[in-house]
Amino acid sequence: MSFDYSQELPVIEGKNTFAEITDVISKPLETRPNKKYYIALAISVSLLLFGATCLMLTFIYGTGMWGNNNPVGWAFDIVNFVFWVGIGHAGTLISAILFLFRQKWRTGIARFAEGMTIFAVMTAGLFPLIHVGRPWLDGWLFPYPNQNALWVNFTSPLLWDVFAVSTYFTVSFIFWYVGLIPDFATLRDKTVNKVKKVIYSIVSLGWRHSNRHWHHYEMVYLVLAGFATPLVLSVHTIVSFDFAVSILPGWHTTIFPPYFVAGAVFSGFAMVQNVLIFVRKIFNYEHIITLDTLEKMNKIIIVTGSMVGYAYAMEFFIAWYSGSPIEVFTFVNRAFGDYAWAYWTMVSCNVLFPQLFWIKKIRRSIPLMFTIGVLVNVGMWFERFVIIVTSLSRDYLPSSWGFYTPTVIDTGILIGSFGFFFTWILIFIKTMPVVSIAEVKSVITGGQPTHHGDAQ
Amino acid sequence: MSRNEENKKFWLSLDDLKNSLNLAKAKDNEFAPGMTDEFKPEDMPSHSRRKFLALAGASAAFAATACTDYRDKGEIIPYNKKPDDMTIGVANYYSSTCTGCANACGILIKTREGRPIKIDGNPDHPVSKGKICAAGQANILNLYDPERLKEPLSGANGKFKPADWKDIDNKIIEALNKASADNKEITIITHSVLSPSQNKLFEDFKSKYPTTKIYSYELFNDKNRQSAWKRCYGESNFPVISWSDANVILSLESDFLGNEGNFVEQIRLFAGKRNVDDAKNFNRLYVAEGGMSLTGMNSDHRLRIRPDAQFEFVMSLLNEIIFVRKDSSTVLNSEIETKIKEHKLIDFANKFKLSESVLFSLVNDLISNKGKSIVYAGDILPEVIHIAVNLLNEVLGNNALYNKERGNVKQMPLSENAEIESLINSMNSGNVAVVLHLDTNPVFHFSNDYGYATALKKVPVVVTMCENENESSMRSNYVLPIHHNFESWGDFQTRTGLYSLQQPVIAPLYNTRQKESILHQWLGGNAENYSEDGYHQYIMKNWEQNIYQMLHLASDFRSFWFAALNDGVVNYKAPIPTMQFNFTTSDKFEYKPSNGNVLMLTRNYTIGDGRFSNNGWLQELPHPVSKVTWDNYAAISLNTSRQIGVKIGDMIDINASGKKIAFPVMIQPGMADDVLSIELGYGRKFGGTIGSNVGFDGIQLMSNKNNAQMLIRDVKISKANGKYKFASTQEHHAINEPEVMGFPKQRHIIQEGTIAAYIKNPDFFKDGKPKTEDISIVNRVQYTGTKWAMAIDLNKCVGCGICVSACNVENNVPIVGKEQVLVGREMHWIRVDRYFSNSAEQPETSNQPMLCMHCDDAPCENVCPVVATNHSPDGLNQMIYNRCVGTRYCSNNCPYKVRRFNFYNFRNHLADGYYNKDSLSLMQNPEVTVRSRGVMEKCTFCVQRIMEARQEAIKNGVQLKGSEVKTACQEACPAEAITFGDAHEKDSAIDYIRNHKLGYHVLEELNIKPNVTYIARLRNKAEEVQS
Repeated sequence: MSFDYSQELPVIEGKNTFAEITDVISKPLETRPNKKYYIALAISVSLLLFGATCLMLTFIYGTGMWGNNNPVGWAFDIVNFVFWVGIGHAGTLISAILFLFRQKWRTGIARFAEGMTIFAVMTAGLFPLIHVGRPWLDGWLFPYPNQNALWVNFTSPLLWDVFAVSTYFTVSFIFWYVGLIPDFATLRDKTVNKVKKVIYSIVSLGWRHSNRHWHHYEMVYLVLAGFATPLVLSVHTIVSFDFAVSILPGWHTTIFPPYFVAGAVFSGFAMVQNVLIFVRKIFNYEHIITLDTLEKMNKIIIVTGSMVGYAYAMEFFIAWYSGSPIEVFTFVNRAFGDYAWAYWTMVSCNVLFPQLFWIKKIRRSIPLMFTIGVLVNVGMWFERFVIIVTSLSRDYLPSSWGFYTPTVIDTGILIGSFGFFFTWILIFIKTMPVVSIAEVKSVITGGQPTHHGDAQ
Repeated sequence: MSRNEENKKFWLSLDDLKNSLNLAKAKDNEFAPGMTDEFKPEDMPSHSRRKFLALAGASAAFAATACTDYRDKGEIIPYNKKPDDMTIGVANYYSSTCTGCANACGILIKTREGRPIKIDGNPDHPVSKGKICAAGQANILNLYDPERLKEPLSGANGKFKPADWKDIDNKIIEALNKASADNKEITIITHSVLSPSQNKLFEDFKSKYPTTKIYSYELFNDKNRQSAWKRCYGESNFPVISWSDANVILSLESDFLGNEGNFVEQIRLFAGKRNVDDAKNFNRLYVAEGGMSLTGMNSDHRLRIRPDAQFEFVMSLLNEIIFVRKDSSTVLNSEIETKIKEHKLIDFANKFKLSESVLFSLVNDLISNKGKSIVYAGDILPEVIHIAVNLLNEVLGNNALYNKERGNVKQMPLSENAEIESLINSMNSGNVAVVLHLDTNPVFHFSNDYGYATALKKVPVVVTMCENENESSMRSNYVLPIHHNFESWGDFQTRTGLYSLQQPVIAPLYNTRQKESILHQWLGGNAENYSEDGYHQYIMKNWEQNIYQMLHLASDFRSFWFAALNDGVVNYKAPIPTMQFNFTTSDKFEYKPSNGNVLMLTRNYTIGDGRFSNNGWLQELPHPVSKVTWDNYAAISLNTSRQIGVKIGDMIDINASGKKIAFPVMIQPGMADDVLSIELGYGRKFGGTIGSNVGFDGIQLMSNKNNAQMLIRDVKISKANGKYKFASTQEHHAINEPEVMGFPKQRHIIQEGTIAAYIKNPDFFKDGKPKTEDISIVNRVQYTGTKWAMAIDLNKCVGCGICVSACNVENNVPIVGKEQVLVGREMHWIRVDRYFSNSAEQPETSNQPMLCMHCDDAPCENVCPVVATNHSPDGLNQMIYNRCVGTRYCSNNCPYKVRRFNFYNFRNHLADGYYNKDSLSLMQNPEVTVRSRGVMEKCTFCVQRIMEARQEAIKNGVQLKGSEVKTACQEACPAEAITFGDAHEKDSAIDYIRNHKLGYHVLEELNIKPNVTYIARLRNKAEEVQS
């Protein structure tokens, strides 16, 4: 079998006309939601309401409703925060970094991944606000001039978080919105519904598909991609500073920034892959979000998974190499202490199972890749649990050691965060094109005029 | 344009044209009519704009106030005439006497604006010397306990109706008269009678109602010691021991540092001889015990001996000293000699697998410190062991340490068990007409063997005088609420040559009467004209007629009396009794250990005989050995637990003298095998919201046999069904993870040495340790002025926890309840860490009070996003509660984990807002913010006291001296282990200790520069001796 390496493999399968692409992508926006959609929405909103109830109880009675205690000041609250920020990493990576690297396979998944980023960061952003003892004073975490003459402490990593996450959210949102403008214009032109027409007219900012517009658009998109790229690396680096800057054994580790970024990309890709499997099936996007694309994502999962595995091993090595008995104990305790089950769940889900993707059949099998994707996210959630809870529960003075057990409310808020995230996702897929119409058109066979004339 | 046009008048409307004149007028008058009128809505037309706005504003204001949870907290009326002895904002101190137990310690009560808010020992009191126990500190909560009885009750079968004092008085006086007429007994049951005036009142009462009999009892008593002294010296009032002169102390199952006798005084005297700057004169403490007591934790050598083998132990020691070493000139009678010769120390050591080396060092030490050592047996041991110990002390010439000038005094001996039994018999046979419980709770305290509760049903009139409802009051016909300690008058004598006075410091909070006043009223035989001052006058009269006369003073009585009240104590020279050891009878001079399990019923460390059950502060004070709060348990050794196959928290059935009770198990390192130890005072059924059903009632296991009430032999134990959770403030590593036992030393948290090494080379402690350099990448803050610092001498600290109690009261530390301690949310600002090392069988214990270190480079400070925690220029790590949003990051980053987070508003959360009741808000220290939900808190080095001292210094125009500030924990520490002050004050105690050769910081290697210096503990180990 011979390949023509002078030609790129088509990213979009089959011969599609521009009109077909527009039709298939805008179809979910033009049809009324079916029963399945309502069922999905009902489930998702129920989870959200359950979480909201738990949160309300927390606001009424206090953080005591959670399992947090005196050595373990942070638990599910910050675990969930770091987990969701991590999920939010794939989007910008796919849309910005892969864009700069001219990875055309990203076009089918970029829009969705970006949307997911926004929702994941929104979910994540809730946790720092609700985890505090007095959430009604959250405003004090922001540096704004006020009559109380209160000012923030710029040496606190928690404050850095506020900036990192809000910057990331803002840039991701703008990037996402700019990408949506040509699509909104297409939808505006296509729709016959008057209300929709007004809305699309406003949000498309007068886009007329003119050559000039495209020219500016591409420059802006490139510049924004340039902006977003360092942010992909910085957000989780700064989130990892919450731990690395502290003096707690198990937190005070220089490997954290790269390790956290790799982990974030890892879990983000797994989540994108999981959700896209449903989206491409339900909306018949199999030829746009192709198996090839999913396979490429799985490859990134192996790479980042292995990086994470390396970091796990290196943490142990450095703990031993440091010669600090307290440091050594922290890691021995992780692997063999009270929370060993969490540690081994993390290792098997994050390091062992993704290695199965070396096998091409598994990499291309939808059910298997879905399962592994789910496991990766379970593992990554546990990674944060292991880092935060086991380190806190047994630190310097054995007298102050304590065991953390989550309560129903803790679990409820975790479930609620999934409800919150998926509710946004469901609203998103029925209100906006989940695949970029304009970008996909640029990569379909024959999308780019060449000097060979019409290709193939 | 014509001129006319220039003057042309323009008009806007027809009206304008018509009224142009009026308009001009109006313009001249700036303030139109009505404009300057007063704002009177009622005068306004119903549709006026201003009225509408007024109504809208009022409605909004009403709506807003209706929606808030504003409670009318009553009127606050300022003094319009300042009382002479009171300045608002300045505390007044009154000396008084604590009545929490039979020690009657002298106390100093701090009051603010008429409210008692803090208790400390009376510094002028020769026994207390300014110190008081944990319960004494927390007693303030009992005064303000919202569940105190507020009015007299009458009823039956546990159902009561509020009644009137006069009616009740009339009915009871009638019953008393009738009983006297019918020649039926009137029974008064009281605790130890320590008050001369109370004793006189009893005598007067007896002459008014001749059938009266007084019974006194204590759940925890020294009857065995008393009767032994009676038999040996013919005097049951045994002398006080001069602990401060003892070079060697051998404690036999005695917790003299924890809860026996006046342990606060004993800690002070014991710790006084643990001064590292006088290392050659360190005392050496040997402890031979079956339980693991606080005293055992502080021992230099500890022998695990079951309590019923103590007699053999003492006899073997006698044999070794008298016959093997031939080192005694005491002449004994031949029968006793024969008995002694039956016991050989080697055999004893082999039988109980004891270290011969330690035993021989002990014998050597006792012999070489004749007259300078003391052997001391515990209260629960039977009389015969006390006799043997007295003999041993005589043989060693240790009677030189008996301080005969200050003997223990009781106004009335405690009732013998036989007397109680005969009382119950006459109750059963209907010969008792009236029973008065004088602030006692015999239904709870008497062993079930007596059948007191059933006998009580046969008594027609049962009266209980108490502060809170209790088991006995529930079975009474009349429940008479009495004054708290701080609302009462009294006088006490517990030592020869010393009186201690009690005076009220607050007007009675409720419709209560002092218990003596009630008797005094009945004594008059008339319910009319009750005077609150009656008993006060009675005491004064008694003093004027009896005590004042005896003292032969130059001053007149009134001056004497007020001076005495001011000081709280009266010292006088009393005749020294002569005591001659004279024990000859040898019959019954033996006590054989049993082969089965032996059960020790001991005194708890916090809640007394159960009377402090409803005091959450004390319930939550961790047990000094196990660190368990809100509970008692059956403590057993690791071996015994393995034999019956139980783990910590498993239930076991205890079968003792025909009774079977299930208890949860605590595996306690250091317990002797086949020994169970249970603390009494827990398991109250009617102990209030806080105090009911806390722990298990071990009193039911007590027997009524004289002499062996607390030591029950041949107890059967077996595993039972069920699991129990202990709310412990420390994990049980010694049992569950023995490898962790080495950590405190490995991590340099605990650093220790021996006296021998220190004397040989005072620098031994720092030798060979790398000197940590002060490295910093930023410019350090330079502290040029005052810099606050603390030092804790671990040689002196015994781990009693009094500091914790004092801190709780001083700093308004909330009680969180058992279920919150279970999840690790106790709020104590200072805790006493207890580490075991060596093995779970033979543990060595290290105690370490742990509080905020106020680090120079505090890791908590840089991580707070809102600067709620920061550093003061005088070196305090401060906490701004108002600023705190509650991220808990500071706590996560604190290596000592001394920060405490308010996960709830604990005052609302505990027992449905029990703590939020009005009376309890009176208890709060007004100088310390009451923290709310969601806020981090921690030790402040008692900043309110620093500020007070600073204010005083500024007022007087002098330099603030750091050594003049005392923190609450320091003030309360009976061992004087805590030093506080300005580290920059030259030649101050703190400056000296910070540079001491034995000084170290915990986790020095983190380079965060903590400001609490610990003085390493030196163990006074005996040299290894070969037999």
